[in-house]
Amino acid sequence: MSRPGFVLEVDDRTPPLVVHEGEGFRLETFPLGTRVIYPPESLPAVPDVDQAIQHALRNPEGSDPLPELLFPGMRLTVAFDDLSLPLPPMRSPDIRQRIIEAVLTMAAAAGVDDVELVAANALHRRMTAAELKHIVGERVFRSFFPQGALYNHDAEDRSNLTHVGLTDQGEDVEINRRAAESDLLVYVNVNLVAMDGGHKSVPVGLASYKSLRHHHNSKTMVRSHSFMDHTKSHLHHSAWRMGQLLKEHLNIFQIETTLNNEVFPAPYDFLMKREWEWSIKDQGSMLAARRALSLAPARLRHKMFHDLRAPYGLTGVHAGDTEQVHEKTIAAVHRQQLVEVHGQADVLVMGVPYLCPYNVSSTMNPILATCMGLGYYFNSYRGQPVVRRGGAVILYHPLKPDFNQLHHPSYVDFYEEVLAESTDPAVIEAKHEQNYAADPWYVHLYRTSHAYHGVHPFYMWYWAAHAMDHVNEVIWVGADRRAVQRLGFRAASSLADALEMASDTVGRSPSITYLHNPPHLLADVR
Amino acid sequence: MRRGVFRGGVDDVRTMARGWRWGRRSMVPRSAEAYVQAAEPTVFPTDWSRTRPLRVLREVAQKGGLEPLFRSQVRTRVEGLDVLRSMTGPVIFVANHASHLDTPLILLSLPDDWRRRTAVAAASDYFFDTWWRAVGSAVVFNTFPIERRGGTMATTSGEVLADGWNLLIYPEGTRSTDGWVARFRMGAAWLAVEHGVPVVPVAHRGTFAAMPRGQGWPSPGRRQLTVRFGAPVRPAEGESARDFGARLQAAVAVLLDEDQDTWWAARRRSARGETPDPAGPDVAQWRRVWQQSQSPPAGAPGGRRRRAWSLTR
Repeated sequence: MSRPGFVLEVDDRTPPLVVHEGEGFRLETFPLGTRVIYPPESLPAVPDVDQAIQHALRNPEGSDPLPELLFPGMRLTVAFDDLSLPLPPMRSPDIRQRIIEAVLTMAAAAGVDDVELVAANALHRRMTAAELKHIVGERVFRSFFPQGALYNHDAEDRSNLTHVGLTDQGEDVEINRRAAESDLLVYVNVNLVAMDGGHKSVPVGLASYKSLRHHHNSKTMVRSHSFMDHTKSHLHHSAWRMGQLLKEHLNIFQIETTLNNEVFPAPYDFLMKREWEWSIKDQGSMLAARRALSLAPARLRHKMFHDLRAPYGLTGVHAGDTEQVHEKTIAAVHRQQLVEVHGQADVLVMGVPYLCPYNVSSTMNPILATCMGLGYYFNSYRGQPVVRRGGAVILYHPLKPDFNQLHHPSYVDFYEEVLAESTDPAVIEAKHEQNYAADPWYVHLYRTSHAYHGVHPFYMWYWAAHAMDHVNEVIWVGADRRAVQRLGFRAASSLADALEMASDTVGRSPSITYLHNPPHLLADVR
Repeated sequence: MRRGVFRGGVDDVRTMARGWRWGRRSMVPRSAEAYVQAAEPTVFPTDWSRTRPLRVLREVAQKGGLEPLFRSQVRTRVEGLDVLRSMTGPVIFVANHASHLDTPLILLSLPDDWRRRTAVAAASDYFFDTWWRAVGSAVVFNTFPIERRGGTMATTSGEVLADGWNLLIYPEGTRSTDGWVARFRMGAAWLAVEHGVPVVPVAHRGTFAAMPRGQGWPSPGRRQLTVRFGAPVRPAEGESARDFGARLQAAVAVLLDEDQDTWWAARRRSARGETPDPAGPDVAQWRRVWQQSQSPPAGAPGGRRRRAWSLTR
């Protein structure tokens, strides 16, 4: 039986608590009275995944069963979420592989010849062949990749984009031509957090910059409260308008999956346990891991983390009409991640781990760490933010100004040129976004190499806009001071120092809340 | 750099030792207590600990290790052992419970032949929660697990009794938090009624003052402990466990009274129904603890003993 999430109040019996900080973690002693939000324990996985998939495809929500939608001579496109989901990457076989195999088996039985598979990576980097293979599995990869029928979406290939129309608010809806011109588009999603899925799948994953700019901007993001609650998120409202327009032109069969909280494999599974319940073995594992990480050279440490494959279990699979499916999906995500929290805090503490959606097998640079902390984690709420308006946020991460030149070339210039000038999302959007979005070199690297699009670092910064607008103070503990300065924040060497610095804003005895994730949680702040 | 790494390791070990209370029982933060998962019922067989080789090992451990150590830390005064002369066993010893010193005090006060045939009922959730604690207590104290909250055990108290072993049971179920006696539970009385065995009441004082809850070692200064064995109490024909349990508690109360005064005075008070309530006075908690934190006097009860032949008047 999985226990629900709960809010711990630190007392004299509470041991030091794990705080993630990049490629490492520390044991932090929090002040007495600190509230700590723990996610629910991992829910039991579906016992027979293949049977669950078959059931979902044959008994869809608001749609005919998938076999009835397939016919000889049709154009079938299967789009799927890219490597940014789930995090960490899932241990083989990936859930997308199992679903795509089931879909293709039905398509083969129905005599469908014209099938293409598109990774819905939007402006994310192109995945390598190995990464595609990990997601779709060897059989699918061998059957489609050599023929060029399994590929990454190219948001800059004008010849392969279709402008479907404008929403009632004048937003361009431009998506992958093959998808737009198919008789049936099957979308296979991994709904790791509440932000994913629904109409954020097709209208965003298969879109172009022209379409994405309508919701990926500072104004939308600062008004999305939060983007983990699609009913209150302006980002999602825009995506929903686009999705409803697409529905009029395109036959979409949405398949959404939800996962449990089995994030860390052994021997790191102690990170998913509540600290006071650590066995002697868990305590030994923590000591060994800390020592190994301190002794290991940076490259090995990076490998230790990035080679982790999560033993996620499937908690649900739903298929059919996008909106009806998404309702069930969100309910499943909430079952796994929602924690009731009463009242806001003066100070929110978060540990930023080694991984975010945009640095799989790559480096977590300061911009991505900011996006992860002030974007994803800060927005992990429903109702109202965990921290009050005008409060302070304390984050843990080394913030080393290291950039992966292959994956994040435009980030380097964004860090050196744009952030040096201003850190205000609205200002940099107005002044620099277009230059980066249209820069031919960045476009070239995005299309031919494995680089994120030139505009991507801007989006990461917008992701944090709501948090930056909401709080008065952002302090990083254990971070590179120059990098922190560049980002426009403040640096502290310890939690005590950070609280001392924040006392100007929140006083000497603030209420503190620590968000104890990963595993993923969503604070339902009442 | 190596030095830094070594130092970091030492710091980590220190942090963990302090935070996870190494060597002591782990604790759950108060706000997390509602979410503690019920432990799986432990089935820990202890039959092996009553086999001949283990009895020999226990004899060595108790006489060679436990007793010298115990006597080096506390002083004891034992009374009433003569009640055992007229009995053969098995019997159930029921005693008040205030400290981890209670078990060694009672066991080491018993005559050797009784001690060797006495097993101790120990809370399964406390003494049998880890294998090393279970093995240690079973070897040294001849413990077997009893479930305080109900459940299935590998060895039941009845089986141990039926094998001819005497039992030592603390009917309060846990150590007193203030040294005074809590209400007795029915388990010991039920066993006695069910198996028709006599119960020897045992009352002791001073263990709370010497080593209360939360303390891992007796206080310095060789504190005085007293232990007094009472006349066996037998369940009457058709007597319920509830009624018999009440009689047991009364017998322990009289013994405690007797231990502070004289046998005759305690008997008279008992006859008048004026035996002091072993649950203690209804006063502020600190006064209850304060009173119990006083060790019993070293001399015999009932004031100074008069010499039979006094040289001076």
